[in-house]
Amino acid sequence: MIAAGCDVGSLTTKAVILNNTRLLGHALIGSSFNPEKSAAEVMEKALAAAHLTMDDIGFCVGTGYGRERIGFVKKTISEISCHAKGAHFLQPSMRTIIDIGGQDCKAIRLDEKGEIVKFMTNDKCASGTGRFLEVMAKLLGLELEELGRISGQTTQPINLAATCTVWAQAEVIMHLNDGMSKADLAAGINEAMAARIAILARSVGIEKDVCMTGGVAKNTGVIQAMEKQLGIPMRRLRVDPQMMGALGAAVFARERMGGR
Amino acid sequence: MSTEEPRVIKVFEDLLETPQNRLVEQASQDGRIPIGYSCSFVPEALLMADRLFPVRLHAPGVAGTELADNYLSSLVCSYTRSILEFAMDDRYDLIRGWVTVPSCAHMQRFIDNLEYLKRPDFIHVIDAPRKVNESTLKWHEEELHMLADKLSSHFSVDMGKASLMKAIDEWNRFCVIMNRIGDLRKTPNPPITGSEFHRVVMASLASPKDLILPHIEAFYREIENRESTRKYRARLMVVGGHLHDPEFIRIIESQGGLVVADRFCTGSIPGLIPVHVNGDPIRALAEHTFEKTLCPRMMEDFDRRLNNILDTVKEYRVDGVVIEIIKFCDLWGVDSMPLVSALRKVGIPVLKLEREYRTTGEGQLRTRVQAFIESMGR
Repeated sequence: MIAAGCDVGSLTTKAVILNNTRLLGHALIGSSFNPEKSAAEVMEKALAAAHLTMDDIGFCVGTGYGRERIGFVKKTISEISCHAKGAHFLQPSMRTIIDIGGQDCKAIRLDEKGEIVKFMTNDKCASGTGRFLEVMAKLLGLELEELGRISGQTTQPINLAATCTVWAQAEVIMHLNDGMSKADLAAGINEAMAARIAILARSVGIEKDVCMTGGVAKNTGVIQAMEKQLGIPMRRLRVDPQMMGALGAAVFARERMGGR
Repeated sequence: MSTEEPRVIKVFEDLLETPQNRLVEQASQDGRIPIGYSCSFVPEALLMADRLFPVRLHAPGVAGTELADNYLSSLVCSYTRSILEFAMDDRYDLIRGWVTVPSCAHMQRFIDNLEYLKRPDFIHVIDAPRKVNESTLKWHEEELHMLADKLSSHFSVDMGKASLMKAIDEWNRFCVIMNRIGDLRKTPNPPITGSEFHRVVMASLASPKDLILPHIEAFYREIENRESTRKYRARLMVVGGHLHDPEFIRIIESQGGLVVADRFCTGSIPGLIPVHVNGDPIRALAEHTFEKTLCPRMMEDFDRRLNNILDTVKEYRVDGVVIEIIKFCDLWGVDSMPLVSALRKVGIPVLKLEREYRTTGEGQLRTRVQAFIESMGR
């Protein structure tokens, strides 16, 4: 019983191949201007990693902002449901999921059965999204992944007063010109990000266990800042958090095939 | 029974393309007087007397508010900014009189700027009360008398009892046919979508009623025996303030929701109810305004607003409620908080959406609505 999930996001496209509860393969690529092409390409990579072909897939679910443009899926499900499903599949005690994607962030609260009780999204503004970190990393001349690592070396994180991505950029430039260290700036950026998301997370009512999904969850600096903001630990997931939407889609696909 | 898209709907679509449609132009050329209004507290039937006709101010396809932004803060809602933009850009050039209500601080700023910038020949502000009781009813009745007198003297129109009764009859004819169409949405397979219904309502509010009535009647005849085979996953009710763009509802419906009831300023519930006259028509219009306007600007009236939604949920077999609020709308922003809690408390799923006047961010809207329907287990 082989199921697949494909998540076409605004920045990255992901695919997961699942055999019952076993992850057979997965892949991640940058999203192109053509969602259909990105989906086909990432699925090909995931299938190659699993040593399978498309004919082996019993059911495939699509998710993400490009979900309606994926040609090979049999059903589309929102990424809100898919992230919740993926996280609950990995850790059934999960009750609150904070997903930070490239262009939005979502706080989702689940009941004990994994059903969505409440969700909130921020999709009006780039601050509090992966795009915010991408802009800031570029400004500091760092790779996105380095933002978390380098922020661990801070002695005195800066306090970013502006929450707007554009104005925060101006503020970071000013601090750079003042000779502020990149570590202090990176830590300040992560804390500003966490402060924004914590407001959203609190609005759904935080309940343990809590985890973060989406690309930003790979940034250890943001995770630590979130733990500090919310005063509770974040459960680490055993699968790449950026793959959670695609994993959830694959779990839905497995359920469609009669799997539990 | 046909299951095709209704053909007459195209008429309403065309009428919504411009703020002053061809029916407004036609009536103006015939010497009639279009009066622009922006709030449900303005009694439309009063503005239908003699040669007058009401035109609900809307700003279809507004692309930006560069002119209005010079005069209004960015914290003023995009509806207010959009209609001021159109007014400044002379997009309401046929409008000969303006009747407004300072329902909120934003609308008051619109009125102030309209007066200051455009210096209209006729502008009247109804000082509508914020409580419903016998003394405020009397107050509102006096307000409407003042408006009627002012209209009569400025435009030389007949605002006497017989003229008002005729106008009320026409308003009631319009309401009866709209309610008949609305009742079809209570059926298990409604013959029209929510976005189609909204197109009819919005086009009607922005047109002279006598000229649009034949189209509405033709539309009703076309759909009354229609049975839809359209598949939907959930019956939804939309609740909120001004919603002019049917596109917003179309996007909701593209995700498997069917909007069967609309409780917003420019919707049919409870706005399109006939006026019952028992004596003085102006008194009847004052009573009617209080009865039909369930607006968060009214104090000590929350329970009536909530109960109206609860009754509608039962009557139209609604599975979930979508509350839509224009960003920075103080009235709906505040009222929606206890409303969401009260609805959830009785087990009604609620999705609250903040939006701009013109529909934007279709991708995000689709995701939220799809997730909402999924969270209902559908």
